Amino acid sequence: MLDEQRLKILTESAKYDVSCSSSGSKRANAKGGVGNASVGGICHSFTPDGRCISLLKILMSNRCAYNCLYCPNRAEADVPRASATPDEICELTMAFYRRNYIEGLFLSSAVEGSPDSTMEKMLETVIKLRKIYRFNGYIHLKGIPQADRSLISRAGLYVDRMSFNVELPSEKSLRLLAPQKSKEGVLLPMKQLALEKAAVKEEKAKHRKMFLPAGQTTQLIVGASPESDGQILKLSEAMYRRFSLKRVYYSSYIPVVKHSLLPDKCAGLLREHRLYQADWLMRFYGFSAEEIAGEGENLPEEYDPKCAWALKNMQFFPVEVNKAPVEALLRVPGIGTLGAYKIIKARKYAALDFDDLAKMRIVLKRARHFITCGGKFYGSENAAAIKTMLMLEEKSEKYEQLSMFSSPEVSLSALTGQL
Amino acid sequence: MNVYITDGSENSFYTAVFNACTDKNCIVTSSHTVQLPMDSTVIVVQADGNKCGRVQKKLLAYAPRCLKDISLILRRGSAAKEQVALEYIRLIVQKRAPVGDMLSHPAVIAAREEKKKVTLEAHRFTGFLRFMEGKGGIYYAPFSPDNDILELILPHFTARLADQPFVIHDTARGKAALYNRKECVIVQTDEKVSVPLSDCEQHFQSMWKEYYRSVNIAERPHEKQMKGYMPVRYWKYMPEKT
Repeated sequence: MLDEQRLKILTESAKYDVSCSSSGSKRANAKGGVGNASVGGICHSFTPDGRCISLLKILMSNRCAYNCLYCPNRAEADVPRASATPDEICELTMAFYRRNYIEGLFLSSAVEGSPDSTMEKMLETVIKLRKIYRFNGYIHLKGIPQADRSLISRAGLYVDRMSFNVELPSEKSLRLLAPQKSKEGVLLPMKQLALEKAAVKEEKAKHRKMFLPAGQTTQLIVGASPESDGQILKLSEAMYRRFSLKRVYYSSYIPVVKHSLLPDKCAGLLREHRLYQADWLMRFYGFSAEEIAGEGENLPEEYDPKCAWALKNMQFFPVEVNKAPVEALLRVPGIGTLGAYKIIKARKYAALDFDDLAKMRIVLKRARHFITCGGKFYGSENAAAIKTMLMLEEKSEKYEQLSMFSSPEVSLSALTGQL
Repeated sequence: MNVYITDGSENSFYTAVFNACTDKNCIVTSSHTVQLPMDSTVIVVQADGNKCGRVQKKLLAYAPRCLKDISLILRRGSAAKEQVALEYIRLIVQKRAPVGDMLSHPAVIAAREEKKKVTLEAHRFTGFLRFMEGKGGIYYAPFSPDNDILELILPHFTARLADQPFVIHDTARGKAALYNRKECVIVQTDEKVSVPLSDCEQHFQSMWKEYYRSVNIAERPHEKQMKGYMPVRYWKYMPEKT
């Protein structure tokens, strides 16, 4: 049986993987089995860092043969090492699941020995869990790059989601910081799985096997290497398109290892947050990466990427809430997918004014500069003034006192008292 | 002004609606602590199958899905739930059609908000409920939700843990669901019951606590967000928070 000491080591090594979702699969329970997958995903707890616990996130082993510079478990590091057997992991998963602590298992591993032997051991765990323990809950398996193709596609038949981490946004950085990994080693299996999933979809429903029902995801470390946000978003967009990924996760770099090739400062959560906002714009709001940020550009810190886009494209605004098509509403800063849907439904019955929007809980502090209601406009005409106001609002959300030395436009307004 | 006092059941509510719907200036409530207005006449409503059936039939004809919504609203743990449901019904009767999409109408906004609070809490407890293994292999899960959601979360757990006998106990309302792998019944209980725990239960609880500690990134504290997603009032029965 796994003891607390080893659980601690194996979890602490796995916790920097940000993927936590348990959504996308609707695997049903079988007769005599335990568990099912909930298509919307379920969060079971939240840790003091504000992240959710949905899956039992654990490594099979942290004894790694690789020496990626940014990784606390790299071969040269002097850290406590541990590993678990397939049965130990299965037992813990079942015990936690029966108590409703978790939604399923997130299994990852360091490369112990060779990629193939590591992948074999992970596959054995997953098959045991499904066949012997009759577990039908959610399983997310981290793929080992450069493992044998047949092992990878076999795993696809048992798990709900698989992910290969791209880690660094360019080949050059990868070569520098993770010399044993290669771009192809990560991208090829992703491509292979995407093709196989598409092939399974083609088969007749009657004979169709379940293959990665919740698809694939990947993760990028932001801030460990010099790539710009524009470049990162372009990469994400390409991966969404080519591998039909469900999600790209961005993880702002936390220095756990000191090295001359690595920055010794945290990349900061704001940059990560802005990237997620941009990612959502690409997936749900019909934006392209090019529109949000050009090749070498970074996202602005002062306001969100949608505001930034709108301020650059004032010719599209203001839009009339009672007439605009849903695509135009979605591009208004402050109106989200839910807000746009509410407006579309409500305006069939009655013309909407600003009071109605407020009652419907549509936040107007940003939106009012970009919309009219029945021809009325309550925003500011002047683009520079809007810019300053948006910045101030973003700042006030963080309860920060204005400083004369913060960003130029804000500090100017602090001096003159004018907005 | 008439004040209709129901016994809290759905049938009793629909019976009250039979008169209250056209009674312009009235209050319907199941709360016993309601503050009565000066000139009020109290009418205690007993469920009447005939009246209740007629109201439901009419509503079904106007808006086929509204009974489900109203049933969810009536599960709310607030004193105003009957009044919100009544305003919603009045609007349906006035329009003679489904009104769920009139998203800028005050009655619809209020109804959607109440409904959302119930379904959100039900969804949260599919995650926050914690079972402990009893001596005889029966799993026991106490919880005290704000709203009456036991029946809403039951199907989720009977499908998921189909081979596991369990008891889910709503300690706030003194009722429990008993499941024995075949069927599920709901019974009235005391507020507190004592359950002898199995030998390995303590071990797994401390493993879970260790996991909870280890998976946290201590360099990035964000308690406010944690409490927003997982309100403190739900921590009572969660091993990792006690």
